[in-house]
Amino acid sequence: MIADKRSLTRLFPIALVALPPLLGLGYALSASLGLSGVANGGLTLQYLREVIASHTTWAAVGWTLWIATASTVFATLAAVLLAATFRAESTADRIGRMVAVLPLPIPHVVAALASLLILGQSGLLSRFANTAGMFSTPAQMPPLVYDRLGIGLIFALVWKEIPFLALIAFTVLKSRGGLLEESARSLGANRLQTFLYATWPVLWRGMLPGVVAVATFVAGSYETAALLAPSRPLALPLLTMERYTDGAMELRPDAFVLAGFSLLVSLAAVAIYGAMIARAENFK
Amino acid sequence: MAIVGCALLLSACNKDRAENGNRGAIARLPWADVVSLARGSTVTWRMWRGDPSVNAYVDCWVAPRLMSDYGISLRAVEGQGPEIVNQLVVERQARARGVADLVWINGETFHNLRAADLLWGPWASRLPNAAALDSSSSIVMRDFEQPLDGWESPWGRVQFALIYDTVRTRHPPHSFAELKGWITKHPGRFTHDQQFTGVAFLTGLMYSLSGGAEKFEGGFRRALYDTASARVFGWIEDVRPDFWRSGRDYPLGVAEMHRLFANDEIDFTMSYNQNEVVTKIRQGVLQPTAHALVIADGTLANAHYVGIPFNAPNPAGAMVVANFLLSPEAQYEKLRPEVWGDGTVLDAAKLTSALRTRFESLAADPHAVPPAELARHAVPEVAPQYREHLAADWKRLVRERAP
Repeated sequence: MIADKRSLTRLFPIALVALPPLLGLGYALSASLGLSGVANGGLTLQYLREVIASHTTWAAVGWTLWIATASTVFATLAAVLLAATFRAESTADRIGRMVAVLPLPIPHVVAALASLLILGQSGLLSRFANTAGMFSTPAQMPPLVYDRLGIGLIFALVWKEIPFLALIAFTVLKSRGGLLEESARSLGANRLQTFLYATWPVLWRGMLPGVVAVATFVAGSYETAALLAPSRPLALPLLTMERYTDGAMELRPDAFVLAGFSLLVSLAAVAIYGAMIARAENFK
Repeated sequence: MAIVGCALLLSACNKDRAENGNRGAIARLPWADVVSLARGSTVTWRMWRGDPSVNAYVDCWVAPRLMSDYGISLRAVEGQGPEIVNQLVVERQARARGVADLVWINGETFHNLRAADLLWGPWASRLPNAAALDSSSSIVMRDFEQPLDGWESPWGRVQFALIYDTVRTRHPPHSFAELKGWITKHPGRFTHDQQFTGVAFLTGLMYSLSGGAEKFEGGFRRALYDTASARVFGWIEDVRPDFWRSGRDYPLGVAEMHRLFANDEIDFTMSYNQNEVVTKIRQGVLQPTAHALVIADGTLANAHYVGIPFNAPNPAGAMVVANFLLSPEAQYEKLRPEVWGDGTVLDAAKLTSALRTRFESLAADPHAVPPAELARHAVPEVAPQYREHLAADWKRLVRERAP
């Protein structure tokens, strides 16, 4: 009985954390099935069918997956490189580590604005190129923001996610890297071999939860996309918000179906994480 | 999961039906009683908070006067258009007590709120200051052709204008036909945004290509829309290759348009407030050589309003605030270009001569279009369905088919 009470008490904080998103999920699910929200005309799969059949949806999902994957991969690589470079206790390395995590408290929207100011067709880069006589009008500068590949958006996201992932990488290497690497070196491994067989496996396992968090965050992030993404294809968060705030009320359920798609994208990242961890456990 | 979610939401709060009945009587009370009911209360106003000039007017000019004159503390919170509808729908389904007492609305939002019975009222014709309203103006007294019937109170009046740079563009176009020629001669220098203002541009174009606004009055007609919209998208298709980014991408909203214009990436930005050019120059957002321009074919004008939600906790306070917003002092302050430059909904002829002189003394800013010219070219908004369809079809036929 006492044990029961204790486990109930322990469940309370979990419920506190889990309940609001679960309630939101419940509402979104019922709204996308026509059971609640503005268009609550009774159970229907019509909205689900329409959204699934729409080319716009898949273009948005595809583009968002591209942005999430590209920015996560680039940010992870940069974080690993930083961790491997600045790992000693020397003053130079300490300064290196400190500078690497400096952008951490800067809001995403500021990073997006910085990207706009630097990469825009009338931005700093364009003005330097102009001064250097490379082109005379802003339109001659290749579009790096509102562009189809999302270069400006990826640039802003990578810059913002590097410090977060680097912080994890520094901690992982400090706590778990040293001993393994020493053993590798004492067994005659060279620098590259030590990195490949001792440093990297420790790093990726330690960083994986952070990498998944970054990928899911980026996939759902609205404000950076609103400032830097093109109008076609429309990023998934932008498309969702557009349907949610459209003057035509019959588009409201679409927004909830699209929110479900966002959730699936995040769940896919978590599933990949689970599978990778399971594989690693099997190897053990 | 859905069932659990709904059950929890539905049981979250239970509204006392009797309370609604009592609240209904408030609108019929003598005005002095409404004011005394409102004294000492808080009014939460859900409104667009995206412009520092508007926020400063509400927070630093309106709020202190409401406090000193009526003991009302005004709390302005973010939320506009469809967000207001979404919020009220959820509150109704959850039978929750409302949060907002007053909402800033117009057009589609008014239509949607009325259709879903989410407004409290009628109340607006009870306001003492409503006597000075410009009741002969169809732009003020009809909201996208919908009669107000006391369900919302007029607050301000705006008109669509293009903004150009007098140095960069010495001979700006004055009609849609001239604009078409201008775009072709200046490739990559024109675009419109994807949101409210962009659709207003398309609506103006639709009027112009199909014989004027009056053709569209009298409710939504599908056949007329089909012919007229085909002309709009034909026009766009003709000039699209010469749009900014060859018509492949469009700026999200007017803030992006202003930025592109200020940075010399495009030669025109636009605004659904004829005086925004003046306030934006003062804020340093736009260059001092920027100037407003109205298309002589006719430019859209509309009014904006305040409404009271069906579940407003403090309808009496909201009525007092709405009445204050209609007062000549508040309307004059709002009209001043250094404050906001939002047009008045009052009829100068109904004011005392001293007040009339004050309104008339507001000399037109050299960057703005003179009031007489604005009035000559103003055309009203028509049934909101035209705008809804135009917005949806633009996304389908233009944005998604971008090369």
